[in-house]
Amino acid sequence: MIDNALLELRDVGKVFGDTVALSPTTLNIKEGSFVAIVGPSGCGKSTLFNVIAGLLTPDSGDVVLADQRVTGATGHVGYMLQKDLLVPWRTVEDNITMAARLTRRVTANDRSEARRIATQYGLGDFLRHYPSALSGGMRQRVAFMRTLVTHQQLLLLDEPFGALDAQTRLEMQQWLLQVWRDTGRTVLFITHDVDESIFLSDRILVMSPRPGRIVADFENPLGRPRDISTLTDPDFNELKSRIMGLLHGKTQ
Amino acid sequence: MSARSNPPSRPRPTKRFLFQVGSDAGRAPTGAKRGIGRTVARNVGIPVLSLVLLMVLWQGIVVGFHIAPYIAPRPLQAFQAITGDWSTLWPLVLGTIRETVYGFAVGALLGLFLGVIMARVPFLQRMLYPVLVLSQAVPIIALAAPLVLILGFSVTPKVVIVAWIVFFPVTVNVLDGLSHVDQDLMNLAKVYGAPRWRAFLQIEIPASATSIFSGLKIGATYAVTGAIIGELAASDGSSLALYQEHANSNLNTAAVYGTTMLMTAIGISWFLLVVGTEVLLTPWQRRSVARKPLFRHRQSALTPVGAEN
Ligand SMILES: Nc1ncnc2c1ncn2[C@@H]1O[C@H](COP(=O)(O)OP(=O)(O)OP(=O)(O)O)[C@@H](O)[C@H]1O
Ligand SMILES: [Mg+2]
Repeated sequence: MIDNALLELRDVGKVFGDTVALSPTTLNIKEGSFVAIVGPSGCGKSTLFNVIAGLLTPDSGDVVLADQRVTGATGHVGYMLQKDLLVPWRTVEDNITMAARLTRRVTANDRSEARRIATQYGLGDFLRHYPSALSGGMRQRVAFMRTLVTHQQLLLLDEPFGALDAQTRLEMQQWLLQVWRDTGRTVLFITHDVDESIFLSDRILVMSPRPGRIVADFENPLGRPRDISTLTDPDFNELKSRIMGLLHGKTQ
Repeated sequence: MSARSNPPSRPRPTKRFLFQVGSDAGRAPTGAKRGIGRTVARNVGIPVLSLVLLMVLWQGIVVGFHIAPYIAPRPLQAFQAITGDWSTLWPLVLGTIRETVYGFAVGALLGLFLGVIMARVPFLQRMLYPVLVLSQAVPIIALAAPLVLILGFSVTPKVVIVAWIVFFPVTVNVLDGLSHVDQDLMNLAKVYGAPRWRAFLQIEIPASATSIFSGLKIGATYAVTGAIIGELAASDGSSLALYQEHANSNLNTAAVYGTTMLMTAIGISWFLLVVGTEVLLTPWQRRSVARKPLFRHRQSALTPVGAEN
């Protein structure tokens, strides 16, 4: 076992009929790190997340979180999708406390934490709004706050900004980095956008389909904090061209 | 980035069934300076105006075509016919209301129960669906005679007939609502470790609210019809339906029309009550900002925001 590994996958594999969605995969994720996962559509990224989250039971292997075997069990990660999945019948505040409401009684503490976090990250004026009154970027932020207050150390973000326009997306990326720095969580982040994967992460996993597997594992050499100038750094471009080469089938 | 620089988008206008009660308020953008008077005028004034126009039309046809009063009375004559005999009519009206309300309650609860178990257990859905459709294919009148034989001339057979009519649209709509709940949302609840019953109460039920109320509204419009059919077929002595039959055989056309107006008024009131309940229970369909809650947040209001940690 590797020191500091918050999450370990040991030969985890998943097959749907004839499709090997995820061939046996071994992986260690360091506590506090930000790991991006890129790969073409259908290469098993979401399957990997669903296995980690416990929505799918793998056909082989084990998922180990903080030294506990959690294979096929739920209730131990934060999870967020491209669809914000806010419930229209709850206000912003009540959406943020949704995880608590779904598992136990919502306490005054839950509510004041929701208000504090919303205020801290720019949604303090919208606590009593219903989600229908929010823009796409604001909705994704609420969805992320809802994920944060689950107090899970591991956050699985499956293309969370995939549906946003380029401008909002860039704002959200910077916002996410700020929150990640403030809260010290461990993030697994799926994206189709190579720029986004490099801009955000400490480490990038590249996946490839048929069978779904991890084909490359890059350490990100870029320092922090990151800003717009990061996007034009020579290291950024070098890493980007290597990843693009892998994704588009060119050998290095 | 300032959140305030992003003006909140308008809530999508929600699709409503039958009357448009309350839906106009939902189209008002947040913080719009629109008087409450105008909202009331739209939501109450226009429906009332359309009823008044209907009366004018009725009056116009009767007067314009020189229709004899024993064929069709004028609205005012029909109205006078019921006010003149109010002391007899009032207990009958109460009786019909009671049958309607009891029957609706039984039918709605049964419909909800059936909708929920059928949504949950596919086997039961396949088993029960044909039976339910069959139950609605039976002419209700043909049902009355055996019901009287079994249950006698009490209020019970009427309640059964109303419930029989009401449960079906409720079941179908509850089933429909529950089977269209976003599965990603249910998966998210699972990831959080939510027990099944909490996911049901917190997600499936509110997500199906629109469908459930559609079923209840259809049921509400049919409920009075059911009660009147029950009264016709299973009444021993006094009931609104028999009063009308009696007036009809006495050629008291004004009273016949008047009684119909009464029955209609009961039906509309009941429908409006259901719509009002929906408006109260689903504020998010009309508002972009929640009202101050009446009961919650009291204790937490003592803790200033940011003071804890
Ligand atoms: N429930 C399922 N039943 C059958 N096949 C599935 C199921 N879920 C995923 N698959 C298949 O497994 C493969 C991987 O799917 P997955 O959703 O993990 O891809 P992905 O990398 O997340 O793609 P995208 O980038 O488009 O989201 C695909 O070929 C998909 O068709
Ligand atoms: Mg996916």
